Amino acid sequence: MSTAELDPVFAAALRELLVATAEDAPRVRRRWRWRLGPGIFAGLTLVAGGVALAAGVFSPPGAPLDTPLGAAVTATHTGSATIDLGPRPAGATDVSLTLTCLTVGTFDFPNGSSVTCSSADLREPPLARQASEVVPLTPGIDNVTIGTSANASWTLQALYVNRVTTHWGINASGQTYGVANQNGTPDLIAVVIDQGKTQGYLEASELNCASGGDVQSIAQALAWDKQNRNISIPVYESDGTTIIGTFIIGGATGSNTKTVPLSSLSLGC
Amino acid sequence: MVEWNRDEPAAWAAALDNDGDAFAAVFDLHRDRVYHHALRMTANVHDAEDVTAAAFLELWRRRKSVRVVEGSVLPWLIVTATNLARNLARGLRRYQALIAVLPRAEDARSAEDVALDQIEEMRIAAQVREALSALAPSDAALISLTLFEHYSPAQAAVALGISDGAARTRLHRARTRMAATIEALATADRDDTTKEKSR
Repeated sequence: MSTAELDPVFAAALRELLVATAEDAPRVRRRWRWRLGPGIFAGLTLVAGGVALAAGVFSPPGAPLDTPLGAAVTATHTGSATIDLGPRPAGATDVSLTLTCLTVGTFDFPNGSSVTCSSADLREPPLARQASEVVPLTPGIDNVTIGTSANASWTLQALYVNRVTTHWGINASGQTYGVANQNGTPDLIAVVIDQGKTQGYLEASELNCASGGDVQSIAQALAWDKQNRNISIPVYESDGTTIIGTFIIGGATGSNTKTVPLSSLSLGC
Repeated sequence: MVEWNRDEPAAWAAALDNDGDAFAAVFDLHRDRVYHHALRMTANVHDAEDVTAAAFLELWRRRKSVRVVEGSVLPWLIVTATNLARNLARGLRRYQALIAVLPRAEDARSAEDVALDQIEEMRIAAQVREALSALAPSDAALISLTLFEHYSPAQAAVALGISDGAARTRLHRARTRMAATIEALATADRDDTTKEKSR
């Protein structure tokens, strides 16, 4: 074998990985494609009937509480630009950024999150094209930089806020409950089901297991994907025992998709 | 049926729509060029394989912002492989776990396993590599694209997102600097050889 050729075993495995990677990406066109920055809890694939509870919609334990300070600064630019936020009010900890895309492009927030706007998105009203992030302030720096792809135009509204992270609740069994935040993930994770009508909690360990948390190799990951199934797990009250509903995990759709309860599988996690 | 290999723009467009086979076709089309370049940059088979894998995984991760030059993503891959190879540890960190589980042929080869008649070629390659590593990252990518991969300065400029004029100026400067480094290394090598012979 010559060193000038890529090892065929390695090449075949890499090729398989690339196919799986490309096909694993969300197929459903979302209005906004988000890539969350480091440290933010993401990675849930959800189907109709359940949505993860976004911080700020309700205020479950552990959610951040933002108090606006001063007046908003608004600026419009084409391409990457740095916006001066003006003097920092006393008590400001973070800056709340709301970006509206005016053209097609990719827009990077200072915290590593980014958002992509397509031509279809541009046909939506401006409110539907808004993306928001709350970014911690850096000592001595009173500006924010938005990076963009070439010739991408945007409007940014920036507002200083005082952010306080509330505490998780603790139930009678000693389990923490609430939303994931910079302190980590509670034992019971807040969710809403029934189109937002019911608020409840998922066991973090059950969620992890049903999301493929025990997958350790590409072969296992590919086998997991090929099962074409969704897994349901119970939704509890904050006591962690009273079951009030079911939460479905997995993006599988189609006529031969099956949804199976986690308790019926022996996944070893 | 679309002939992927003759139609990279169509393959790339389909790949962006989550067509795994189309993405694999882009891999098939460019894997050897990317691997050869990685080998040139690292002189180590294992590292070159890692760089190749990471370059294609980066191609997917950054697919929204990849610069396509005349319908091809190869220049972008070469630039990315150059940057990854220059800082192996940092560049590969994101994909370490994924790449680690990829199987390899049992008779692990190394760049040292080459015939004796390739030694002179290797000596030159080592000099080029050292000279490349002395350049700024963007200049190393510019040299890789033009000198090794035979892209025009105008095409390289598009791949790097700089103006044609800036590419030409920087290319001239980088070539001069590289030539000086290689000349110095070659002189040092000759001196070593002379000393060996006079013993």
